[in-house]
Amino acid sequence: MPTFEKLPEEIRQFVGSEPLLGVRADLLHDGQFGDQWLTVTESDVSVWLPDGSRVLRLTVETIDDARAVGGIGGGTLIADTQDGPVVILRYTASLASVFNYAAKLIGALAKGEERPAASKNDFPRLCPKCANPLPEDSQSCPICKNNKKVILRMLGYAKPYKPQMIGAAALLILTTLVELIPPYLTKVLLDDVLQPKTMGSTLLWVVVGLAVTSVVLSAMQTVRGLIGVWVGSRLMGDLRKDIYSSLMRLSLAFFDRRQTSQFIGRVNSDSEAMRQFMTDGIIWVAGESLRVVAIFAIMFNLDWRLTMLALLPVPVMIVVSMTVWPMIGRRWYQQWRSIFRLNVLVGDSLQGIRVVKAFGREGTEMGRYEDANREVVRHNIRIEGMWQGLFPLFSFVAGIGTLLIWYYGGWSVLRGEITIGVLMALITYLGMLLGPLQWVSQMINWASHALAAADRVFEIMDTPSEVPDSANPVPVGRVRGEVRFRNITYGYEKHHPVLKNVSLDVAAGEMIGLVGHSGAGKSTFINLICRFYDPDEGIITIDGTDLRTIAQTDLRSQIGVVLQETFLFDGTIAENIAYSKPDATPLEIMRAAKIANAHDFIVRLPDGYDTRVGERGHRLSGGEKQRVSIARAIIHDPRILILDEATASVDTETERQIQEAIARLVKGRTTFAIAHRLSTLRNADRLVVLDHGRIAEIGTHEELLAQEGVYFKLVEAQKELSKIKGVEG
Amino acid sequence: MNDPYDIRVLQPESISLSRGAGGVMQGVVDGKPYSELIVFRTFPFLYTTQYLSIRDAKGEELGIVADLEELDAESRDVLRQELRFRYFLPRVTRVDSVKQKTDLWIWELQTDLGPTRLAMRNLHDHMQFPGGSRIILTDLTGKRCEIQDWKKLDGHSRKQLNDVI
Repeated sequence: MPTFEKLPEEIRQFVGSEPLLGVRADLLHDGQFGDQWLTVTESDVSVWLPDGSRVLRLTVETIDDARAVGGIGGGTLIADTQDGPVVILRYTASLASVFNYAAKLIGALAKGEERPAASKNDFPRLCPKCANPLPEDSQSCPICKNNKKVILRMLGYAKPYKPQMIGAAALLILTTLVELIPPYLTKVLLDDVLQPKTMGSTLLWVVVGLAVTSVVLSAMQTVRGLIGVWVGSRLMGDLRKDIYSSLMRLSLAFFDRRQTSQFIGRVNSDSEAMRQFMTDGIIWVAGESLRVVAIFAIMFNLDWRLTMLALLPVPVMIVVSMTVWPMIGRRWYQQWRSIFRLNVLVGDSLQGIRVVKAFGREGTEMGRYEDANREVVRHNIRIEGMWQGLFPLFSFVAGIGTLLIWYYGGWSVLRGEITIGVLMALITYLGMLLGPLQWVSQMINWASHALAAADRVFEIMDTPSEVPDSANPVPVGRVRGEVRFRNITYGYEKHHPVLKNVSLDVAAGEMIGLVGHSGAGKSTFINLICRFYDPDEGIITIDGTDLRTIAQTDLRSQIGVVLQETFLFDGTIAENIAYSKPDATPLEIMRAAKIANAHDFIVRLPDGYDTRVGERGHRLSGGEKQRVSIARAIIHDPRILILDEATASVDTETERQIQEAIARLVKGRTTFAIAHRLSTLRNADRLVVLDHGRIAEIGTHEELLAQEGVYFKLVEAQKELSKIKGVEG
Repeated sequence: MNDPYDIRVLQPESISLSRGAGGVMQGVVDGKPYSELIVFRTFPFLYTTQYLSIRDAKGEELGIVADLEELDAESRDVLRQELRFRYFLPRVTRVDSVKQKTDLWIWELQTDLGPTRLAMRNLHDHMQFPGGSRIILTDLTGKRCEIQDWKKLDGHSRKQLNDVI
């Protein structure tokens, strides 16, 4: 019996036979939060309150079907009975997957069909201990787990630079110790030379000692700094590389849900924050703690009672640091969010600058920017203001210790208990001690900044690809190009399928035209062949091999795409054509361009194949870009070809040229083509008409026309449209 | 015949709604009975009780109710209740705590429908500000809560929110 929470005994005893399903719903019938239990047995469907009283009972014979109707933030499980629909129970969105399964199970029982097996995805993934959602890729709950994980993981990046880090650490220990010498020498100077006024060689030696320490100190600091820069830059490079490759590895579905502009900032600024923490931050902490310990030791040796006195304010400082820590972390995150919003805003409106100009909305955009900007300023003042307020407070508290030493130390000197040299040394050491303690807050800043950055970075790295490569991919070699769809269901949102139970057999070398209204599922169909997404149900095979078992690089090397939005990278035309085959010879590139009807126009360009295109380069027209991308597909020499609206918005002559190029390209390859203009699909062997995610009709142009079905209507509608266009033209 | 490309506004007298024996909203629209009707908010944030799209079980739009208040008493109550069911959006009455634990933000909330808890991976993807002082919180699973006006919440709640807004 699949349950993710145990059915309470109070209910269990009334159910009778062992239930097929026993699950908790989190809403009551009136929509209030509260627990109810659903049990499904061979004979009936019941809803119970936790105390064991039955709220609803339906026998399976009276039920025709069941469905989970998704609302917003919640849903309803409805049974269709002979007397009309009946609400079984309601639940919040957290439990949607459970009740989708429950609906399938009840439906199958009612219709006497095979019962669906519950899969792991049907149950919410919650931590058994704290009931918080688990991360998608692991079973270990991040909340119940050790908090130091992030720091340790960050430190993992420093591993390859162990020798350098050890060198830096050794130098650090030395400098710290050397730094402690001058105050001691001062003490010697005061007590042994200046006080007794004994002129001798001691003065010279003490001054020489001071000079030597400062020379050694500067030299060591320089070397340490250089090591720090070297390791830091390397570390940062490693981090950036990892973030970027994680981004590339992620599936398209990840990017569908997010604005891409946010990632630019993440790659750069977040890795910088982490770098800063690891090199400067950690070295700093290590150095300062060492210094604090050493100073303590020396001060206690000099005069332990005065030292105790001087240290009175220290606990206060530490407590204050600890309380502001979480507050500062949150404010940094707020600050980050407001800057992030500002960046997104700029990214959006600059990308859409043509629309902005065309509608004359510059003023509105400036206003929106102004608002977001004001937010950033406000947060900035809040966090920086807090910062500025904190510092004087710390120095004030620290100053109290010094005052205490002056007063009581002064007394001791007057009474002759300690020498003036000891007093001066104590005061100097105390100054050196309180310095780092003040900076504890700066450390907090660094650490929280870096941890927030690391969190975001690891979030990207940890996001599993939704189309994972199989562990043991099947080598496919060069495929023939036979594509099979078996009962494919897929939705970008799981409970909103775009393709519903689609099955299709395509022979090798066949050209399939995909036809349908926008939103009918054509592009989704194609995305599934490329395995940008995995189907929710069913399998797709190429030459009889499940797509999921083929390595993605293998698969993509067999598939060529010419997309609706032709995207050319920053680089020359030749580089763009040879994108999938960087070692292509100039002749191969030209041949591909020739087949794509692009050779002539490229040669006529002043820079020929070396013309720079892309964002900063020469602007090609839409038709030219399309032909370049066709050439790109030709040189790729795929077995399976995908054409998505390849001739959307070009003039007739260009369209003819593109058509020709495509006709040459599709020869001998399995081709899937989408076009709004049905005339462009006349070369297709078969047309597949999609309607609301299902295959409505399959056949040749003539067959479908004769059927007078969905396709016929589409053609008629387009004839109308071209008539109108004719009038306009 | 009505223009199929125009928005059909249902006159108050041409629609009457009731709750069926099974608990499903049913009703008569333009003299035709339907055993199941679904309501959609067309502007879920701006107009919560106006411009409601009434659809049959298959999702075909039958028409728009311009304002819930214009309907007769029973229809009004049924529709209001149905909106509450379909748009499950408890109103937050108090924010007990907002805590960040490792990679999750946990919200402990009191709502008009009882206490609940939301878990978010981050704040920027899960908090919406539709305008004014309203906040819509959506958790990882899609469960939602609404803070109608955070400035009107009690001091404790405001303090909790202060650092996250």
